[in-house]
Amino acid sequence: MSKSPIPCVLAAAAVAFAAFSAHAADEEVRVGACQPITGRFAFAGVNINAGLQDYLNYANEAGILKGKKFAYFYEDSGYDTEKAVATFKKIMAQYNPVMMYGESTGLGKAIGPELNSRYKVLYGSASFSSELADPKSHPYSFVSGPTYSDMFGVLLDYIAKNAKGKEKPKIALFYSDTEFGKDPIPFARKRAAELGIEVVADIVTKVGAVDVTTEVLTLKKTQPDYVIFQGYVLAPIPEVIRSARDHGLKTTFMGTFWSMDKTIIDKLGPDAEGYMGVNPYAYYYADVPGIAAMRKYNERVHPAEKYRPNSYIQGWFTGMIYAETARRVLAAGKPITGDNLKDALATIKDWDTGGLTGKVSFVQNKAAVGRVYRANVQKGIFEPASDWIYLK
Amino acid sequence: MLIGNYKETYAADEALFRTPTARAWVAVGAAAAIGFPFLAGDYLLYLANLVGVLAIGALGLNILTGFTGQISLGHAAFMGVGAYATAVLAARAGWPFWLALPAGGAAACLAGMVVGVPSLRIKGLYLAIATLAAQVIFEWIFTNWNSVTGGIRGINVPPAQIFGLGFDTDRRLYFLILALAAAHTWAAANLFRTRIGRAFIAIRDRDISAELIGINLFRYKILAFMLSSYFAGIAGGLWVYFTRVVTPENFPLSLSIQYLAMIIVGGLGSIKGTLMGAVFITLVPEVLKALAQGARAFAPEAMSYLFPLRDIVFGAMIVAFLIFEPHGLNEMWNRIRRFFALWPFPK
Repeated sequence: MSKSPIPCVLAAAAVAFAAFSAHAADEEVRVGACQPITGRFAFAGVNINAGLQDYLNYANEAGILKGKKFAYFYEDSGYDTEKAVATFKKIMAQYNPVMMYGESTGLGKAIGPELNSRYKVLYGSASFSSELADPKSHPYSFVSGPTYSDMFGVLLDYIAKNAKGKEKPKIALFYSDTEFGKDPIPFARKRAAELGIEVVADIVTKVGAVDVTTEVLTLKKTQPDYVIFQGYVLAPIPEVIRSARDHGLKTTFMGTFWSMDKTIIDKLGPDAEGYMGVNPYAYYYADVPGIAAMRKYNERVHPAEKYRPNSYIQGWFTGMIYAETARRVLAAGKPITGDNLKDALATIKDWDTGGLTGKVSFVQNKAAVGRVYRANVQKGIFEPASDWIYLK
Repeated sequence: MLIGNYKETYAADEALFRTPTARAWVAVGAAAAIGFPFLAGDYLLYLANLVGVLAIGALGLNILTGFTGQISLGHAAFMGVGAYATAVLAARAGWPFWLALPAGGAAACLAGMVVGVPSLRIKGLYLAIATLAAQVIFEWIFTNWNSVTGGIRGINVPPAQIFGLGFDTDRRLYFLILALAAAHTWAAANLFRTRIGRAFIAIRDRDISAELIGINLFRYKILAFMLSSYFAGIAGGLWVYFTRVVTPENFPLSLSIQYLAMIIVGGLGSIKGTLMGAVFITLVPEVLKALAQGARAFAPEAMSYLFPLRDIVFGAMIVAFLIFEPHGLNEMWNRIRRFFALWPFPK
């Protein structure tokens, strides 16, 4: 037989590990995540991952699950749908979690059929796509807040109420030729017509377009009161705004979640004055209990981090949703399974998140609430321009 | 030790696998491929399926670029054409798998024919740009021809069915993909033993000489494009049944470049090399990821540096290949084989 003691030691370790994990599995609520830590979306993925992980730790410390603890298993999926599907399957096979987090709309769509037929776990993601908030085709997935369409709904409501002295406010839709850009556009056109808002221009560009002269000339010709950007993170938003200001346009520029981070103010400097947009969450500097708890946690655990971007807050909030659904399932005395979690999600009504968001009610696997913010260049921050706006 | 390879019949001369050792290894490989899904978990099966689909596409590109010498940057687009044709026929017209898949191949074949036309007049880098244009045009069509392609949302496709058996799990799909990949590999390997295949090679080596010995350049170049696109179309069609959804973002330029990387790393003008290249390009990043994942236990805070480092290592590996073994994995394999064939004597 073998002379080496290593196999024996390994076998003993394996047995011990198996026994340990079998015991731990009862006390654990496992959360898996395919995070885009590298690739095009890494700027957000790193923060989403940190936010989600931090909240789950925070929930464990606070004992939200009453004796049970979250265990978090993440892997990098590189913002590549095929790699992400592989990672999803790997995590499911290796850890068998009851909740999963996914990097993109693409992953949500690709894993959809198997999520429904086979895996049946609660699935949150970085996506705000309205397709993933359709309980018919994606019953297990939810959107951490409003969809892009809802965000447009919030902005259009705001415009309809606040267009001073205008009978019929004029807007331009400025979006990229990607899924991310085009997702809410049909809804935006319909909703604008209902609210008596005129869409005077429809501008489609590539992501990160550099030369925006023709687009700005179109704006100059059509003179919209508001321009809403969708499907960009940064470029070409600063270029468009600068060039529009050079042409003397008085238009108000607006963005949705991904183009509402502090970086855009830093990038634009004084030209950011008056830039507005919708954010489903409060900012890291907001003076509300939900954010204060997050700041306190960070001061203690990550003293070097002085600011956390919106994507971190998105991850943290998704963690809150996981914890709330798990808490409700446990409170009802049921086992934590994907089906029970999904049902618990639908029971969330007027949930108070301590001001981190508006009151959260999950209808159609999403919470259609957001707030309009305006850039304050002097302070370098976004300030609320409206109260929380709820969509019917 | 192998001391000679003496052939007594024409059949022996024409055999694909010429020595008993080679045949034994092929048998071992086939047995391993068939036994694999019974041992592997979901993750490995998924990766194996991905490799299988990409291998069929890469074979197509090697026919065009490696054997005929026509560079193409539009291979992902042809895969897209096949994928969309299959998806539309399967999801909207309700065609069964065994009709929709070849139809996808045929659609890509037609697209390849059209895109191949300029190849008579332009060569090398200029042709690369012409095929790049095809890539951009097709991508635009996928995104904007809403009534057919479903726009950015794409098309959801029901699982493949053959004689009532649904191919809805990775394990079942594996056998389907394995069978098709094997059939296409066999077809590609045999192609270069026919007049057509030899004409392709003649065109690659020197097109003017090829024309002098009576090869109709236009006809054969177009044929190479058509065959290559057909392979891509089949890969696209299979891909649709594999992922069950098709969107324009699935066939970007970067995929075309990935295909080129596969055949360059594997070995231009080598069927075996193509397969090795597909495996290498798909699996090595996963292996590196597993290593980075393993390192997490020791440096939990360093993940944001370790993960990107992986891409750098992968890039460096490809550069190292180009420098130390320009003929690719295939040549490396051949050297290893020669070494063992002659062992214990030095070559």
